[in-house]
Amino acid sequence: MADRVVLCIGTKKGLFVAEGAKARGRFELRGPFGSGVAVYAALIDNRRSPRLYASSCNAFFGMKVLRSTDLGRKFKETKAAPTFPEGDGRALANIWSLETGGDSRDLLCGVEPASLFRSDNGGDSWEMVPGISQHQHSRDWQPGNGGLCLHTILRDGNRIHLGISTGGHYLSEDGGETFTAANQGVGAGFVPDPYPEFGQCVHKIAGHKDAPGRLYMQNHGGWAEWDGPGGPRPGIGVLRSDDHGKTWYSIADGLPSDFGFPIAVHPHNPDVVYVIPAEPMTRACPQGKPAVWRSENGGGKWKRLDRGMPKKDSYFTVLRDALTVDELKSPALYFGTTTGQLWIGRDGGEQWDCLFDSLPPIHCVKAAVV
Amino acid sequence: MTILVQIPPVLRYECGGARELAVAAATVRAALLQLKRDYPDLYRNVCDETGAVRRHVNLFVNNSFLYQRDGLDTELVSGDVLHIMPAVSGG
Repeated sequence: MADRVVLCIGTKKGLFVAEGAKARGRFELRGPFGSGVAVYAALIDNRRSPRLYASSCNAFFGMKVLRSTDLGRKFKETKAAPTFPEGDGRALANIWSLETGGDSRDLLCGVEPASLFRSDNGGDSWEMVPGISQHQHSRDWQPGNGGLCLHTILRDGNRIHLGISTGGHYLSEDGGETFTAANQGVGAGFVPDPYPEFGQCVHKIAGHKDAPGRLYMQNHGGWAEWDGPGGPRPGIGVLRSDDHGKTWYSIADGLPSDFGFPIAVHPHNPDVVYVIPAEPMTRACPQGKPAVWRSENGGGKWKRLDRGMPKKDSYFTVLRDALTVDELKSPALYFGTTTGQLWIGRDGGEQWDCLFDSLPPIHCVKAAVV
Repeated sequence: MTILVQIPPVLRYECGGARELAVAAATVRAALLQLKRDYPDLYRNVCDETGAVRRHVNLFVNNSFLYQRDGLDTELVSGDVLHIMPAVSGG
């Protein structure tokens, strides 16, 4: 019986694993694993007996994939990390996403420079997915501040949604054989054309298994007052699609900023969506007052959730993969900050507490009930 | 000619725990290709998939940085020692 909550916390200095009872009162912390090495992606694979995965982005000796079969008490490197084929000319710079694939052993991995890899043996060997990795647009994508990264992988049967910064949203409807840029309504503020075919700086995309046509996107906003070429682009930062990502429209009205990195959906209600707005110039909490914002009607109205959080003087950033939600009946949200704090928002974000306040800068947080 | 490749402690698990490896090679590039054939896991930690030495890895022939010599084309003579060292970097 699943009765433990496990968190994977990827930081600048390695991976931490936190474990607590379903009541989520206290969590025991283990780690760091891959000590001293940055972790940008983690996965809790619950399809069979739980396996934990993490990328380990070793600046000295290259990328590794870590795997644990004992709920994060120890980790070992898999036999291989993704590698570009000989003659491709690109070299792996980072691993940004790890997700489950189509069958019980498949894994998908998004990397920098933006490409997708697939493993059919739990990460011991990897094969590049050419449909996106060698896409005709790929040589025109440009790196954002985090590098040219494929950071979001969402699967829905034969559909695969990818988020690339800066490439935009790409959709496959044939299981990953071919991909099409699907960015109608997704704006960009850093090119003259406000709505290019591709090249947007998508920060994160989230969906829900019960509403597969519905997607939410945190895009690179903050262009409402731009008065350069192309003119202002208000509200392009927080978007929704109701047609599997083919067209998008703004749901940013009512937020203090349409800039931010993460976006998450309630596990039991696709109408409930969460964002963490950030001030566009600093990428930090607006006015130094952190808050998660929740919409309960798919982005029509937003409510500020900050009970338990500092009321002033907080200037952290929550990165694209550092917000998650568990799947218990009354779910808790978790977010990690660039200042090394891990926060829990119990009762769907109504009450916030700091679980750990002095971790290294946090890149990603994943939660699962095991 | 035979030279010795000194392995840093952090990478010895990639070559069965060896502290040093004897390699027959006339240049640094040839030595790395020999490592690629004989110890591919070790090689992947030193060079990326394009063949470039990783940014935070330094190679020395005896006491000389490669960039002070002829880079990967630096010629080797019997008895030379090729040192693989993590660079001073971090934060």
